[in-house]
Amino acid sequence: MTELLQYVANGLVSGGIYAIVAVGFITIYNVSKVINLAQGEFLMLGGMVTVAMIGMNVPYALAALLAILIVTLIGVMMQRYVIAYVKKASPISLIILTIGISTLIRGLASFIWGKDAYALDPITSNQPISLGGVNIAQQSIWILAAVLIILFLLWYLMDRTMLGKKINACSVNPMAARLMGISPAKMSMLAFGISGATGAIAGIVIAPLSVTSYDIGVLLGIKGFSAAILGGLGNPLGAAVAAFILGIVESLGAGYISSGMKDAIAFLVLIAMLLVKPSGIFGERSVGKGGL
Amino acid sequence: MKQLFGKWGKGLGIYLALMILFPFVMPDEYYRSVGIVIGLHAIVSIGLCLVMGLAGQISLGQAAFWGIGAYTSAVLTTKFGLTPLLGLIASAIVPALFAFILGRAIAGLQGYYLAMATLAFGYIVQIGISEWEPVTGGASGMISIPKIAFFGDSELSMYYLIWGIVTCVLLFSLNLMHSRIGRAFRAIHKSEIAATSMGVDVRKFKLNAFVVSGMFAGISGGLYAHYMGILDPQPFGMHESIKFLTMVVIGGMTSIWGALIGALLIGFISEGLVLLSEVVPGLQGDVDTIVFGAILVLIVMFMPEGLVPRIRSMYEKAQAKKAPAKTEQRMEGKAAT
Repeated sequence: MTELLQYVANGLVSGGIYAIVAVGFITIYNVSKVINLAQGEFLMLGGMVTVAMIGMNVPYALAALLAILIVTLIGVMMQRYVIAYVKKASPISLIILTIGISTLIRGLASFIWGKDAYALDPITSNQPISLGGVNIAQQSIWILAAVLIILFLLWYLMDRTMLGKKINACSVNPMAARLMGISPAKMSMLAFGISGATGAIAGIVIAPLSVTSYDIGVLLGIKGFSAAILGGLGNPLGAAVAAFILGIVESLGAGYISSGMKDAIAFLVLIAMLLVKPSGIFGERSVGKGGL
Repeated sequence: MKQLFGKWGKGLGIYLALMILFPFVMPDEYYRSVGIVIGLHAIVSIGLCLVMGLAGQISLGQAAFWGIGAYTSAVLTTKFGLTPLLGLIASAIVPALFAFILGRAIAGLQGYYLAMATLAFGYIVQIGISEWEPVTGGASGMISIPKIAFFGDSELSMYYLIWGIVTCVLLFSLNLMHSRIGRAFRAIHKSEIAATSMGVDVRKFKLNAFVVSGMFAGISGGLYAHYMGILDPQPFGMHESIKFLTMVVIGGMTSIWGALIGALLIGFISEGLVLLSEVVPGLQGDVDTIVFGAILVLIVMFMPEGLVPRIRSMYEKAQAKKAPAKTEQRMEGKAAT
C-alpha cells in the first residue's frame, strides 16, 4: 500500500509538469491554431538559463526571474518574427517550422552549454518529508505548488479578466475580434509569451529534482502534448486532469512493469488514445480526423 | 522503356552519368564512403517525399523504420545465419509491416496528430531497441554483421548496389508521381474533400504512401547495417528523423528530384561541418542540429516550395520570356519579306 501511494505521489509531481506543458500548448493553440512543437524547449531553457546565471554568481531568485523574462521574450519573438511571418502557412509547414525552431534551440543549447546535465539547488532543504511512510522531496511540494498557482492564475486570466476575454474572442473568431478593435496578432504574441513564462517556471522548479540538459525538452514536449490530446485539445482543465492521470499511470508502469519502459508508456497511451478517441476524454469536437 | 525514361531524359542522363562515374573521378576511399552514406539517405528521403509531398502528411519517425530495417537484417544474418540478400528482403518487409500496422492504427489522423504519433512511434522503437537486449544487444549494440562484396572490393560493390537501388527507387517514385496514383495523391494534397468527391480513396492512398516510405527506409537501413558491420541504437532517433525531414524540405516537398538533391546537399553540409569541427576547436559535434533547425525555419519562411521547384519555376519563367521574343522576331521577318 505504501509502495502504491509512493508511486502515486511521484506520478502527481511529474503529472503536474506535464500539465504545465499541456496548458502551454493549449494557450497558444486556442489563439493562433498553432501547435508549438518547441514548447518543451521553453522548459529546458528555463532551467538552463537559471543554471547559467547562477554560474555567473547571480543570486538564485534573480537568476530565476531573469530566466523567466528571457524565455518569455524568446516566446514573443518567436511569434513576432517567425510564426507571424508565415501567415497563410499550411499545417504541414507550421509543423516543419516549429520543429525547426525546437531543433534550432536545442542545437544552440548544446552548443552553448554542452551535453552535460546540470542540477539546481533545491529551493528549500534536500531533506524529504515522510507522510505515513511515503517519502516526498520538499522540492516536489514546491513543484506542485508552482503548478497549482500557475494553473489558477491562467484560469483567472482567461476566465475573469478583460484580457482573457479578448484572447478568447480571438480564438473564437479572429475576424470578428479584429472588428471589435482587438489585435489577434498581439493576442497571439501574448499567448506565446505566457506559454514561454509558464514553461520557464516549470523548467526551473523541476531542475533541482530531475537534472536539466539540452535535450530534456523533446520528451517533456511529447508528454505534454499527449496530455493535451488526452484532455481534448483546447480544453485547459481537461488537459490538466489528463496530465495528472498520465503522470500517475507512467509512474505505476515504471514501478510495476519496467523503469526502462517508463517513457514508452506515455507514448503508448498517446497512440492508444489517438486510436480510440482522438478528440480526447473531455473533448467534444471531432478533431484531427480524416488523415492517413 | 521510352515510357519509363523518356519523360526525364536529360535529367536522368546527367544523374546516371554522375552516379556511375563518381567512384572513378573520386577514387579516394573517403569520398566513396560519403557517396555511400548519401545514397542510403537518398533512399529514405525519396520515400519520405512520397508521404510529405504527395500525400501531404508528415512523419517525424522515419529513422525508426530505418532502424527496424537495419536491425532486422542484422539479427537475421548474425543470429540465424541467413544470407545478406534474404536479410535485405526481410528488412524491406518488416518495416513495411510496421508502417502498415501503425498507418492503420493512426488512420484517422492528420497534421499535428500524425506528427506527434510518428514522433512517439520513433521514440518507442528507439527505446525498444535499447531495451530488447537479448536480441539487439541493447545499448552496446551488435558487431560483426556480414559485409556484402561482389567483385572482392566491398566498398565499391556497396557503392554500386546502393546507388542501383537509389536508381530503382527514383524511377519507381517518378513514375508513381506521374501515374494515375500520383495525380490522385496530388489531388489529395490540394484538397482532400474534392479528391474524395472525385472517387479517390484518400485513406488507402495515404496508407500506401506510408507503407512504401517505410519499406524504402527499411531497405536503406538493412544496407546500412551490412555496410557498417556494427549497429547501436544511437543513430535511429529523433536527430536522424529531423535530418531526413530537412532533406525533403530543402529539396522541395513536392519533388522526387528535390528529395534526391536534398540528400546530396545535407550529405555535403554534414561532411563539411565534420571537417570544419576538426579545424575549429570550439565546435562541438552538434553544430549540424543548429544548421538543420535553421534550414527548416528559413526554408518555410522564405522558400516554402523548396529548392528544386523554385529553380524549375525560375527556369520556366526565363524560357517564357524568351519564347514571345522569338515569335515577334519571326513575325517581323515575315513582314519584311
